[in-house]
Amino acid sequence: MSIELNLDGTPRTVSVAARKPGWRLTVDGTPYTVSEEQGEDCVLLTVGERRYRVWRALEGNRVHLKIGGRTFSLGYEEEVSAAAHAGAAGHEVHADMPGVVVDVHCGPDAIVSAGDALLVIESMKMQITITAPRDGVVAMVHVAKNQPFEKGNLLVSLRDEEA
Amino acid sequence: MLKKILIANRGEIACRIMRTAQRLGIGTVAVHHFADRAAPHVALADEARELHAEVPTAAYLDAEQLIAAAQATGAEGIHPGYGFLSENAGFAAKVEAAGLVFIGPQPGVIELMGDKIRSREFAQAHGVPVAPSIEQEGDLAAFVAGAEAIGFPLLIKAAAGGGGKGMSIVRNAQELAARATIASSEAQRYFADGRIYAERYVERPRHIEVQVLGDGTGTVLHLFERECSIQRRFQKIVEESPAARLAPELREKICSAAVKLASSAKYRNAGTVEFILAPNGEFYFLEMNTRLQVEHPVTEYVTGLDLVEAQLRVAAGETLWLEQADVKLTGHAIECRICAEQPEHDFRPATGTVRKLRIPTGEGVRFDGGIREGQAITAAFDSMLAKLVVHGADRHAATDMIRDALEEFVLLGVDNNSDYLGRIFDHEAFRAGDLHTGFVVEHAAGLAPPPLDATDEAAVLLAAALATEELRRLIDEVPEPHASIGGWRN
Repeated sequence: MSIELNLDGTPRTVSVAARKPGWRLTVDGTPYTVSEEQGEDCVLLTVGERRYRVWRALEGNRVHLKIGGRTFSLGYEEEVSAAAHAGAAGHEVHADMPGVVVDVHCGPDAIVSAGDALLVIESMKMQITITAPRDGVVAMVHVAKNQPFEKGNLLVSLRDEEA
Repeated sequence: MLKKILIANRGEIACRIMRTAQRLGIGTVAVHHFADRAAPHVALADEARELHAEVPTAAYLDAEQLIAAAQATGAEGIHPGYGFLSENAGFAAKVEAAGLVFIGPQPGVIELMGDKIRSREFAQAHGVPVAPSIEQEGDLAAFVAGAEAIGFPLLIKAAAGGGGKGMSIVRNAQELAARATIASSEAQRYFADGRIYAERYVERPRHIEVQVLGDGTGTVLHLFERECSIQRRFQKIVEESPAARLAPELREKICSAAVKLASSAKYRNAGTVEFILAPNGEFYFLEMNTRLQVEHPVTEYVTGLDLVEAQLRVAAGETLWLEQADVKLTGHAIECRICAEQPEHDFRPATGTVRKLRIPTGEGVRFDGGIREGQAITAAFDSMLAKLVVHGADRHAATDMIRDALEEFVLLGVDNNSDYLGRIFDHEAFRAGDLHTGFVVEHAAGLAPPPLDATDEAAVLLAAALATEELRRLIDEVPEPHASIGGWRN
């Protein structure tokens, strides 16, 4: 029994080894002595010898937190498998923010290399070039010039080059 | 003094203007699009009017609705803030024609300074140094040939633009034509005017700007300079006053040039004259912003003056109540802009919902924000969420203070640049005052998030896992006998 978390695209596992006398939790199998107490407006987390101030917020399957002066956002459970799936395939280029298509630089059956410009989009008053995440062939362009899109929309799908 | 004003803006700047108005006993009217109905600036105002538009930003750009709202609420003046209609001469003229006070400069002065080419000619005519340049008059090909004759590197920008939109640096003839075409298309998109403009680009330039205050009679004071050299995508993210390492005689020359320009225009309002400063001490006029600047708080800290109050007083017809010698600079102030973006992905704008907000407080710490927990940050508006400003005894102390304040600042749910800003203030080049507008690019590697060691990384994962009910349940469900020996099993 464990919790799956995704830190910067890498799936990680946290599980419980012991509850008493203190918590002993494992990260990818490595055990840590852990305790938590409530601070003034934050949680004070002790891991081994180190103590951290932690602020947290849950949002669906994500945990946002500030710890040790740095901010992180991690997905857990279902989100891990979804992300791993998308990462492994890499066939689809999704919008990670809403915007509008300014220019389309590719068409169906175009052979592209990782980093090639696929689209130019505009979001929050900035033009951004969307590039191919890997080598491949454009299977379909799902948007047209001047078309608005939402966060998460499929923009371009790729397929493997035929041998 | 005016009795009631309408603030034709939103976000942090609307809140900031209202605070001064309220301190002075001036009534405040907020305007808002439906999407902003629960925004902080609406709650802070004495009264609020909804503006109707399909696209949220369009509401704040609708001159007729704004003027009608002012008249319906009995407001005597309109404060435009920055952005939106703040530098729109047509709007200023309409406000005046409606018998209201425009809290800003004369419409003709806005028009003059809003045109990059005319303002540059005006500066040149009044002895203010400008960089060699060329503007597009005919087709793009002729422009490209003329630009090539100035020599590289060149800075290309929209003739009608500002704020870094449609700007690019071109280093050789091969890329000139393509970049000019892109700049022209962006200029057309953003400003509905495709004309572009090129000028000599200064390597390792510093951005130095001078805060001025004029009453419309030709009397103008300077409120010293600000250094805004830390920029990304040509937009400022860190500003300070005074400038880091600026020889007193050079400061005097730059401030005098700014006063000369504003005085020649009989400028009325607070305003900013921007310069680029070359490593050899030469400086060139960039543009004049005829409005309150985002970074005005650093000037307020070091001079002790309230710039919104000053704007309100000169707008109401008061002549300047200070002499240059009365304006004193004390200590050092630094501001950083907290933006919804991903610094590690080329500063791409981010959206989301503010899930947690913790605002640093303390002596010499100021937070100008227009956000609250639960607020959705959408792509509809600018990505700047708030400004964190500090005032210390000297630059070193101020840098420590803003570093500490960022440590205490928490914003969760929307990706933002607060960690990145912290790394700027930790950087030895920043600490040494070795600044230029390419700072962010030059030090990209040193400004990237440092890798976590194994324990810190485990702490991140454990802290996240402990936020989930699932892990809490797992802890509770560990059977007692197993749990009690769990730690001893190996």
